[in-house]
Amino acid sequence: MEREKATTLYIGPQHPGITGNMMVRLKVEGDTIVGARTEVGYLHRAFEKLVERRNWVQSFTMMCRFCVPEPDPVEESYARAVEMLDKIEIPERAKWIRVLVLELARMSSLLLWHAGQGHSLGLYTMGQWSVGDRNYILDLFEELTGARIYHMFIWPGGVRRDFPEGFEDKVLRTMDYLEKRLEDYDNLLFENSIFQKRTQGVGYVSPEKIIEHGVVGPVLRGSGIKSDIRIDDPYEVYDKLDFVVPTQPGGDIWARALVRRVEIRQSISIIRQVIENIPKGEVYTKVPNPQKWKIPRGDAYARTESVRGEVGMFVASDGGRKPRRVHFRGAAYVHAVTLLEDVLIGQNIADVSAIMNSLGTCPPEIER
Amino acid sequence: METLLEKIKDRVSVNFDLKDHKIYADQKRVDLFFKKEHIPSVLLYLKEQMDFRHLMHMSVIDWLEEGEFEVIFLLWAPKEKIKVFVKTRIDRENPVMENMDNIWPQLNTYEREFKEMYGIEFPGLVAPEEFILEAWTGPPPMRRDFETDKFAKDNFATRPGREDAQDVRETIAKRSGEDIPDFAKKYSR
Amino acid sequence: MSFFDLRGTLKPLTSLKQFGKNPHTIRYPEVPVEASDRYRGFHFNEIEECIGCGNCATICMNESIDMIPIEGVEGDKGDSGLRPRIDYGRCCYCGLCVDVCPTGSLSLTKDFIHVSEDPDTFLFLPGVENPDAKDRKTYVSNKETSLNDWARIPMPELEGKERVKSFAEVVLGYNEEQARQEAERCISCGICTEVCPDHMHIPEYINAIATGNDEDAVRIIYDNNPLPELCGKVCTRRCEDVCAIATRGEPVAIRWLKRYATETADASDVIKDIVNPEIREPNGKKVGIIGAGPSGLTAAYYLALRGFDVTIYEANEKAGGMTMYGIPKYRLPLDSIQKQVDYIMSIGVKIHFNTKVGKDISFKEIYENNDAVFMGVGFPKAWTLGIEGEDANGSMQAVNFLHMINSGEDVEIGNKVVVVGGGNVAIDAARVSRRLGADVTILYRRRIQDMPADWEEIEGAEDEGVHMEPQAIPIKIHKDDKGNVKAIEYLKAEMVQSEDGGRPRPVAIEGSNTIMEVTAVMAAIGQQGDYDFIDKEYADQIKIERGRFVVDKDQQTTLPKLFAGGDAANRTADVISAIADGFRACKAIDKMLIG
Repeated sequence: MEREKATTLYIGPQHPGITGNMMVRLKVEGDTIVGARTEVGYLHRAFEKLVERRNWVQSFTMMCRFCVPEPDPVEESYARAVEMLDKIEIPERAKWIRVLVLELARMSSLLLWHAGQGHSLGLYTMGQWSVGDRNYILDLFEELTGARIYHMFIWPGGVRRDFPEGFEDKVLRTMDYLEKRLEDYDNLLFENSIFQKRTQGVGYVSPEKIIEHGVVGPVLRGSGIKSDIRIDDPYEVYDKLDFVVPTQPGGDIWARALVRRVEIRQSISIIRQVIENIPKGEVYTKVPNPQKWKIPRGDAYARTESVRGEVGMFVASDGGRKPRRVHFRGAAYVHAVTLLEDVLIGQNIADVSAIMNSLGTCPPEIER
Repeated sequence: METLLEKIKDRVSVNFDLKDHKIYADQKRVDLFFKKEHIPSVLLYLKEQMDFRHLMHMSVIDWLEEGEFEVIFLLWAPKEKIKVFVKTRIDRENPVMENMDNIWPQLNTYEREFKEMYGIEFPGLVAPEEFILEAWTGPPPMRRDFETDKFAKDNFATRPGREDAQDVRETIAKRSGEDIPDFAKKYSR
Repeated sequence: MSFFDLRGTLKPLTSLKQFGKNPHTIRYPEVPVEASDRYRGFHFNEIEECIGCGNCATICMNESIDMIPIEGVEGDKGDSGLRPRIDYGRCCYCGLCVDVCPTGSLSLTKDFIHVSEDPDTFLFLPGVENPDAKDRKTYVSNKETSLNDWARIPMPELEGKERVKSFAEVVLGYNEEQARQEAERCISCGICTEVCPDHMHIPEYINAIATGNDEDAVRIIYDNNPLPELCGKVCTRRCEDVCAIATRGEPVAIRWLKRYATETADASDVIKDIVNPEIREPNGKKVGIIGAGPSGLTAAYYLALRGFDVTIYEANEKAGGMTMYGIPKYRLPLDSIQKQVDYIMSIGVKIHFNTKVGKDISFKEIYENNDAVFMGVGFPKAWTLGIEGEDANGSMQAVNFLHMINSGEDVEIGNKVVVVGGGNVAIDAARVSRRLGADVTILYRRRIQDMPADWEEIEGAEDEGVHMEPQAIPIKIHKDDKGNVKAIEYLKAEMVQSEDGGRPRPVAIEGSNTIMEVTAVMAAIGQQGDYDFIDKEYADQIKIERGRFVVDKDQQTTLPKLFAGGDAANRTADVISAIADGFRACKAIDKMLIG
């Protein structure tokens, strides 16, 4: 009988350290991981199959459900892909409103990241604060779109409604409040020596892995490469806005945390610029009657920068009233499967949760 | 932008047998069509020699009427900021595609999913059998001939209480004595 | 780095300053939780405004809306009688049903809490089960972000000043792209079909045009209308009045789309190729039809398809009745009617032209030689004005004038014409006179808004320079020494409210006599039937009331073998009613003779 040196451990699918419903099957020797395998399949809702029976406008209501913490980049990439296919021009004001919504979604997702990263290392106060502050942003969404989490606000042709009365002031006041709170987060999380010691040197992603695995987003920027879709392949009105894309050379969890720390401040600055410069006008170009709207044959791929990285929607049409193929590419599709299995080798069990939060694993994006 | 895209197409067509191409200048994108056998060498060439290092996405479209699957690779060049879509067609009855996860390891995940969802075979692929579906014994579900509403009706019971629903067109036709001919019924909604 | 990091240890302790602070708490349920002003909660429906079109049920991507009949709502013209019921086990509150509602009656409210042990209460009738939610509406439909297309594609037309120079057709018709775009506006509710007298299959043929299948559209139209190009140009379009889109926008151009589809078949043999009708074997029964107007032609076509031996007896030289001899060429070109009549004749219908029943052949002969007889004889005689001087030269009936013009004869009207009347015949006579170079005035006893003519015709007449003189009652026509018309004298009238609340009536103002010099006077104040052709032995058995044949719902008169339709039998007196009468009579004759 052979003695096995390695034990198999399962983390998930119900685990407070896992960012969602997925399982990681670890092979450990003592405390060190020698092999990892991601198992998904707990969240498959088959949206890409369901849109085959729904026409172009009905399908947009399914798009926000691809990613729970941050539904708006997905809606926006679908809307933009359909507009590319049918050559629709949307009004200027609609583009600025879309940018506002995207940045607010980015902020709310980054606040959730603070919670997740803190929890993964045992700092539970962080989560209490940031999820509470995130509610102020959700209140803003409720004012503007009518719902807190699944907004269903950005659709092909523009956005659904204009700003309500007094909305701009509310947004600016919320931004002022949150900017003050960011100092408290700094004191609690980033200046915390336990956090620094536990995250420096852990979860290292080397530059070769980046190309092989198609790494995007803060993971890419945390390894020293300056790349952001908002400046590489600008969409909506990002080419008219002034913001900084931070990079850090470390490649570990600490570097990625510093990148995200700067990004949330940049989002506040972008939102302030949008409120100041937004032009007047319409918010929607009419698309034809949804029951009879046909889009010519072709395909298009629209990418958006979400908090986790590049989020893309591939839409193909066969000339009919319903989409032929809608295929979503989430950042976590790569980060949580092949990259995670690679990065986890040689790490401690206790760091698995921290690495997953830092890579931005989000199971709904993998399984759709 | 058009000339840059043309140059890319020319350079590729010099080295490989290019079946067809299409240029979208406003999207900074060029589509290249190849036969299935040339795809691995084309992708390797684009990645190593022409700086299209980032694989954005890989997708499969089921063209049921034409009896083919269309396989599409979407690549991005970070320096020149250009997209290339490499497209090919494979047969639907016996779909077989080259395993390319030695070029980009992330393709391992994509190929696992397409094997499960479309039934495409990738010889040489090393991966566990199940990816998203668990204990599934039916046909590959993303194929267009698999109908989800029929599957739902056959396998699940409907909750009672909604039987009095009426179709507006039929109600009006019955009330006014209109007789809709059968060949016209398919246009009713 | 050193193990003990002073800064990194003390900084986090500053979070203790939160210790004494009150958290942001909402003390529910003492303080009610109120959602925002745009929150997407439960639905509310204004039952009175809702027309039951079912568009919400179609767009719901979870199939959670059912249209059901409810108490207190009767389906009627313009309303299907059904109202939406929502299954909250499936609804995802996306609000697409609100954005797609044409009337704007459906909206979402601030309510979002419902607790119950009975799961069947989650099948919910908005508006009926929560009438007080009317004050808490949040997400409402507005026209700018609605998913409906409110504006119609405008129809190209010849311009007013140019078109009086000729009898060229005024309306130019949609081209292919415009037709497809206009057809895409339709939401396929089907409310229009109930109001159409002939119940044409409107959503089906519009959808066929939208998908590019014009030939299928022609086949669907020919299922119960053999003169669709005619209707496509001159129908009174009651369907468009109840179109769901017309509640807040412009109705779908149902008539112009029918015209587009039928114009793609540009010759009668092309129509035959496309429609490819199935003609049954001859069944040995014969049917005689008097009058080749729209009702007679319709009955003949469908009877011939069912295998009957059909013969039509027409007094004029060409078929078409009032449509051939009463509608001017700029509205309905003569070759358009001829094309449709040629197609009907090509499937085996026999027409004897220049055969007046009662003169060239007797009614008794037709009655006894056929198994059933259908009369589509119309109202050929016009009412006279009943004023002094009506017998002058140049004073004529408008219908006779139009008949002569369409037959190709020349009519001498001079250069100043007055037309008395406010219906379509008056406007037609006025616009034809403009094209013959005269200066035209229309006298009508009531106001312009009371005129029964089609508003498009009134506008067209005004664009062409016809003067309207409302509230004018003619009393005398002045003649010159040769007996020609010299002038017309009329009184002005004022509108007086009726005592019983009816519409105001004109009362002549004493002493307001006005004399206008004219060269021709045309009377267009109404028409009546001419039934002298029926032999006395039959005439006694046929009941006639107020100048019309009395028929039951199957178009059968009090004489069982005799059927009637068209202007002589119905009160609406337009083409589509005549066609509907002919179709119903055909089905009734079929049932009576074959079973």
